[in-house]
Amino acid sequence: MFSHKRFVRQFVAVFIGLLAAAGPNALEIKGALETKSAQETNSTQETNSTQEIKIADPASVVVIVNRDSNDISFMDIKTHKIVGSVFLGNNVNPHMAMMSSDGRWVVTGGTRANKAYIIDVATLTLKKAIPVGFAPEHLAFSPDGRYYYQGNPDGDSISVIDMVSLTVIKTIPGFAEPLNITFTPDGSKAYVANYGSHWVGVIDVSRHELLKKIHVGNAPAIASLDPERYLGGIKGVSNVSISNDGRYLYAADGDLGIVTVIDSREDKVIKKIPVGADPWRAYMSHDGRYAVTANNGDETISIIDTQSNTVVATLESGPEMMGINFAAGKAFVISSTTGFLYVYDMKSLKTAGRIKIGNVQIETSTTDTADETLYLASSTDNSVYVIDAQTEKVERVANVGLYPWGTHILDSKDNYCH
Amino acid sequence: MPMYKALNVQNKPKFKTRFKPGPLALSVQRASLICALAVPFSGPVQAEEASREQLLKRIAQLEQQMQRMDRLEQRLRELETTAVLSDPETYVSRVEVFVDEDGVEHATEKPGTHSVVTYQRERVYRRQTINEKIDDALSGEAASRVQVGVDAAITMQYATQDKGSDGDADGEFYQLASTDLYFTAELAKNTIFYADIVGLSGTTPGSEIGGLTDINGYTARLRENDDQLNDLSLREAWLMTELFDQQLALTVGRIDLTSFFDSNAVANDETSQFLSDALVNNPMLGLSENGAGMAGVYDPKNGVTVKLGYQQSDSTATNLSDALFQMAEVGYQFNPFGSGEGNYRAWYRTDNGEGNLSAYGFSVDQKVAAGITLFGRYGEAETVSDGDDEFFSGGVQFSDGRGFNPSDVWGLGFANTVLGSDDEETLLEGYYTLSLAERLALSFHLTYIEEEPDGGDDFSYLVPGFRLQANY
Repeated sequence: MFSHKRFVRQFVAVFIGLLAAAGPNALEIKGALETKSAQETNSTQETNSTQEIKIADPASVVVIVNRDSNDISFMDIKTHKIVGSVFLGNNVNPHMAMMSSDGRWVVTGGTRANKAYIIDVATLTLKKAIPVGFAPEHLAFSPDGRYYYQGNPDGDSISVIDMVSLTVIKTIPGFAEPLNITFTPDGSKAYVANYGSHWVGVIDVSRHELLKKIHVGNAPAIASLDPERYLGGIKGVSNVSISNDGRYLYAADGDLGIVTVIDSREDKVIKKIPVGADPWRAYMSHDGRYAVTANNGDETISIIDTQSNTVVATLESGPEMMGINFAAGKAFVISSTTGFLYVYDMKSLKTAGRIKIGNVQIETSTTDTADETLYLASSTDNSVYVIDAQTEKVERVANVGLYPWGTHILDSKDNYCH
Repeated sequence: MPMYKALNVQNKPKFKTRFKPGPLALSVQRASLICALAVPFSGPVQAEEASREQLLKRIAQLEQQMQRMDRLEQRLRELETTAVLSDPETYVSRVEVFVDEDGVEHATEKPGTHSVVTYQRERVYRRQTINEKIDDALSGEAASRVQVGVDAAITMQYATQDKGSDGDADGEFYQLASTDLYFTAELAKNTIFYADIVGLSGTTPGSEIGGLTDINGYTARLRENDDQLNDLSLREAWLMTELFDQQLALTVGRIDLTSFFDSNAVANDETSQFLSDALVNNPMLGLSENGAGMAGVYDPKNGVTVKLGYQQSDSTATNLSDALFQMAEVGYQFNPFGSGEGNYRAWYRTDNGEGNLSAYGFSVDQKVAAGITLFGRYGEAETVSDGDDEFFSGGVQFSDGRGFNPSDVWGLGFANTVLGSDDEETLLEGYYTLSLAERLALSFHLTYIEEEPDGGDDFSYLVPGFRLQANY
């Protein structure tokens, strides 16, 4: 005889069986169930929207990271119109976005949500939110697009996300404020810049393990007379920039005022180049001939000849430099708080004027694949400025989202964050 | 602090174990499901009763766990709203809108609209940590205050005569303490007020050696030929504003024109480079003291700079036009040999204080390799009675790791001054600046000075010394 009470009990038993299988991880189960539910929701959303292709060509858009509206917006490169945006959730505060090499996904780290977000580009839908480490910021795809490495600077770890299963398959610990991640062209190794130390981490990508630490330089012995200088805070390595042939890596160290050149074949330091004070990072010119550091300590840039690995010019620039783009034979240096782009002729290696964007705070920029146009995020007026590198004509695209923090274009050579 | 500590959770290992719902885990769950379903249906009644009690007990445990999770979630939410701020952030944005004839605002430009800049409050969901909030508040507070800086130095020099009849300075020690107090305040956008008050106390060898130029640049353009310095001076006090997209900077007030003209990348600062004034400035500028004036600098950041300025050349003059010092300079920066940047400047000045006398000069610094910079100066000035005064200097500076420490700097310089009266001075100086800390430097100087006065005996001195420099 059917008893509804028994039926309820049986269901409870089923539930208990599920919980028993997971043992003490009750919280994790609840989270997993919620995540699963969210995935299902998103899958449903995806299913519902598969008919509606919003972006047919992923190379036709500029990806814009809007920190305060918690979304990623997409702007058509030709029309400069916003095609759409993907809301990630309140208090997510995305930091950097990158498109997979096949253009299928855009990923971003939600710094205040401790999650990585995966967006389907074609349909502009949020595919998945994946819990990662603390304060995820900068990230990189492996060259084959299989793995998405998400740096968690506050968690001192790298989360490895498999782009097939869209799950975290490993969390690599042992870093010190890992910021940017650089893969070798063959994808065998990844170099992690540690802003909280003076070493570069080398990851074996096949095993997702930290292989070794490359020491970029020593604090001067006389530093003991000035303990506050080195103990009060640290400005280590923010990025490892790779030469076009993948052979050499250029790691700028802020406290030490040097750029250390590493041979990627042997993972060996081959030269330490003194540059200006507090270099933020080395930016590689598109022809690979120069590495240019933005030295925020003395408001200069140092231009390093990558053949001789010597500084061939040190030129005056502006305060709080956040990035350098290359286009039309020029370098454009972003001075964030002044609203200026400082321009340099990369043939004569001399200053070539500056462009006043406005009384705004400008952040980072990407360059189109033709090396003709810059797309500069301007946070305080919620705009992206489109700059013709040749004519230096500026066009403002307003209302792209709140506090745009960075931009990205598929296959651009100037995809970076700050 | 780890989350489990913040939450005062006792069984912290639970948080360290991550549940990863992979295929195997799902299979186990399915198996558990089947077992759970199978047991109630297939077992005998007694077994069912026994297991029922176990199940009820487990349900009670489960409920306790669920309640505990709810409490934890509640506490986590509280924590997020306090320790980690997640309440909506409010700030004011400067926005450009387009207003039509009816006064209706549009976000984008439309026919019949005109652009208007306005301000709008934004409310956003931006989570900030307490540290970020405090940093923002402190930096905002600091920006609105008057910034005060101190640049203090002690120089100790010893003079030993090399040739010539016995001079007063032979075998004497000289010590000078100098303190500069800087005040900077941002009065408006791109407009600042700056004042520099300098206190000097002590002696320098210059007064007893009697050379054509100051052997200690700290006293230059402040007081002339004082045997004993013990005074407080207003070195500079000016207002500067930047116009035309900050391409034109206008400075007006009591100014030191040598800060604007005849600059040099490696021979321009007695506080960190050469100590002798002949290797800091060009004597042919003829500026004996700072005074009221104005300087305009046009710098379009393309390598070319144009400067114009004037200054009262005599502080005892009763009006500005009677003692007017006017100056112009053109500078150009480029990379002539591909080895590094070079700065090339040419200046011209007139002074109507003692006749309408003019002078011109050049100042060059050229980087020849990483950390090696050559410099040179030349100048020629008209005089009232004799022929023209003439000056030249040159030398080299080594930096960027070409010393014991990466930030150490050292240099060698040579200067020659020939007056129209045929008085001549030759000066050589070498220095090494040891960076003890970011704000503390100790430098050692060795100066050789030879004077050849017209009609008098030649004499020379060797002046070793050191300089302890602090700025904060």
